[in-house]
Amino acid sequence: MRIVCPFCGERELSEFSYLGDAKPQRPVANAGEDAVYDYVYLRDNVAGVMAENWYHGGGCRAWLKVTRNTLTHEISAVEPTAGAGAAKVGA
Amino acid sequence: MKYSIFSLARAALSGHKNWQRTWRDASPKDHYDVVVIGGGGHGLATAWFLASEFGIKNVAVLEKGWIGSGNAGRNTTIIRSNYGLPGNTGFYELSMKLWERMEQDLNYNSMVSQRGVLNLYHSDAQRDAYARRGNTMRINGIDAELLDQAALKKMLPFLNFDHARFPVQGGLLQRRGGTARHDAVVWGYAHAASELGVDIIQNCEVTGFVRDGNGKVTGVETSRGKIGAGKVGMAVAGSSSRVAAMAGLRLPIESHVLQAFVSEAIKPLIPGVMTFGAGHFYVSQSDKGGLVFGGDIDGYNSYAQRGNLPVMEDVCEGGMALIPMIGRVRLLRQWGGIMDMSMDGSPIIDKTPVDGLYLNAGWCYGGFKATPASGFVFAHLLARDESHKEAALFRLDRFQRGAMIDEKGQGAQPNLH
Amino acid sequence: MSNSAIPSSTIRMEDASVAEFSWDIRSPIERALVVGPYGALGEAGVSLTEIRNFDLVQVMARRGKAAEMTKPAKARFGVAAPEMPKAVSTADATLIWSGPDQFFVLSKGGKHTTEALVQTFASSASLSDQSHARVLISISGPKGRMMLAKLSSIDLHPDAFPAGAAATTSMDHTSVTLWRGNDRPDGQAVFNVLVFATFAESLWHTMLDSAAEYGVEIGHSEDLA
Repeated sequence: MRIVCPFCGERELSEFSYLGDAKPQRPVANAGEDAVYDYVYLRDNVAGVMAENWYHGGGCRAWLKVTRNTLTHEISAVEPTAGAGAAKVGA
Repeated sequence: MKYSIFSLARAALSGHKNWQRTWRDASPKDHYDVVVIGGGGHGLATAWFLASEFGIKNVAVLEKGWIGSGNAGRNTTIIRSNYGLPGNTGFYELSMKLWERMEQDLNYNSMVSQRGVLNLYHSDAQRDAYARRGNTMRINGIDAELLDQAALKKMLPFLNFDHARFPVQGGLLQRRGGTARHDAVVWGYAHAASELGVDIIQNCEVTGFVRDGNGKVTGVETSRGKIGAGKVGMAVAGSSSRVAAMAGLRLPIESHVLQAFVSEAIKPLIPGVMTFGAGHFYVSQSDKGGLVFGGDIDGYNSYAQRGNLPVMEDVCEGGMALIPMIGRVRLLRQWGGIMDMSMDGSPIIDKTPVDGLYLNAGWCYGGFKATPASGFVFAHLLARDESHKEAALFRLDRFQRGAMIDEKGQGAQPNLH
Repeated sequence: MSNSAIPSSTIRMEDASVAEFSWDIRSPIERALVVGPYGALGEAGVSLTEIRNFDLVQVMARRGKAAEMTKPAKARFGVAAPEMPKAVSTADATLIWSGPDQFFVLSKGGKHTTEALVQTFASSASLSDQSHARVLISISGPKGRMMLAKLSSIDLHPDAFPAGAAATTSMDHTSVTLWRGNDRPDGQAVFNVLVFATFAESLWHTMLDSAAEYGVEIGHSEDLA
């Protein structure tokens, strides 16, 4: 598995760190315990195409949103995460 | 058939042409008292304990592939009960006791070999942690010995004792730990369960649940038709979330890939199981002579049954740091299994919010050693509708209640365990 | 004080024998770097040269100000700062891409220090002085690329990594900024590696291990390659 960093080009996997499913959103402060439990512990655990957060820590240190198939490891899209400090995403 | 020296002699006299199949390859009936989804070690053990301990013999085990096609056929075969936290300590010791009598129970040679499990320590702090773990084990009636460097030098003179960063200072040894032949374990349970009337149905994939008007699960839809069930138990490891989703459940589980490695065969070198305490590397030597070893999960969600090179490199670096002499041994094969990583690293054996559906999941990468106890306590839960006392803390709602069993002490993230 | 009969607990701080600090600027790999030949005998295949005493400033656009950083950079250096993995050299500075909306200014002689640049980027970027936070290693020689290939997953073939190419990447699990400078007069490629000071000794040893089979010529220099 290699990831094509939108800033650096194609890089080996060991330059990246994984932070899992990009779908869950942190609940608002007064959302209640059930919402926090759901956010922290429950997972869709997608078997198939999944949007994920990856961090190019061994390279340009940009956060990336990677669309990857968990059944095949095929990567179909890599985008900078909004707010990553990159002009390309108009942060 | 019963295996013995006499059956072997009889078979030899007839040129080994009259061996019967180890278990019946059953076709599904319309209805069972209990349907167990998943024909791995845990599912088969559950069925055997249901039949042998709890008198429930109208049981089916549904396997989407064939027996031994998943993690049960390709793991690193370690058995041990060196756990330190309440909830785990007693449970894994129950498992160890069941391993010790398994071959007699099942009338099957599962090659249980109590060759010892040694966790090495490389610093004073780690020694203290292992001393404490060993004390916990002994208080609970489990064998544990804290060995110093001099003792290890006699046992394992080839270790890199004077490594500049990770000197080997000693280790915590559980002599009753060791290995068992992974696929012989599932074959043994399949054999013994089948002898008691359990139907083992291969190539039968569950595609949905049958629910009554109250939402209770009354059966399963499968690739081989609808099968009615009084109760349904799930023991599907890395597929837990996918099967639970068919019942509308989301689980505190992520599926990750763990790689296992086997080297070419070499002369006897490593007497037991050994773990490196400064990196993630563990190794034993199979009876055929291959080094069987592994390390961390790859660290990203996967159902692909294959891993990637960075972890392979990391595992091999760990091996080289500990045993430099294996540097020229060639790697023979490698495999990635799908692990049901729970959020705290401990399993879940519990009823689900769906009536009639029971869950056995979250084994992370430690499911093999738990096989017999997992089957026993899950059978207990299915038969009596209450948790066995040694599994009472493996609750599905423990994350919501803050009652985690975080054995590794790294917090609640699946990629940390 | 060492022969004093006063109990140690009563020794006043200013009289105590504490470690004497030297505030001289020294290379973080001063002890590890031994000038001379290393490894295989004969003509050295790899030259490893530590470049000492440089000015290095990290320029990072403030949020949403990347476009505004462009013009003052060009006015100051006469060339556009790289917006993709490249290194651009001017008469007195090298601008090296170090990530999205950020670059290094590498120079000598105090002309482009943080103090000198602060006005230039006052409204668009934040500056961070990295002069003493990084070690700069220059790699050349006929086997220089072979040696680096053992440590890096970047394709360093001249077609893929020509002079002026740059990468923020990892070598031996260590973050580095790698770029190819101008070729030497004899046509040999020159690769430059910036590495965090505290990781430098480890990477230096790894480089020596990697280069030993080709023979190494070790040195240090005050001049930017």
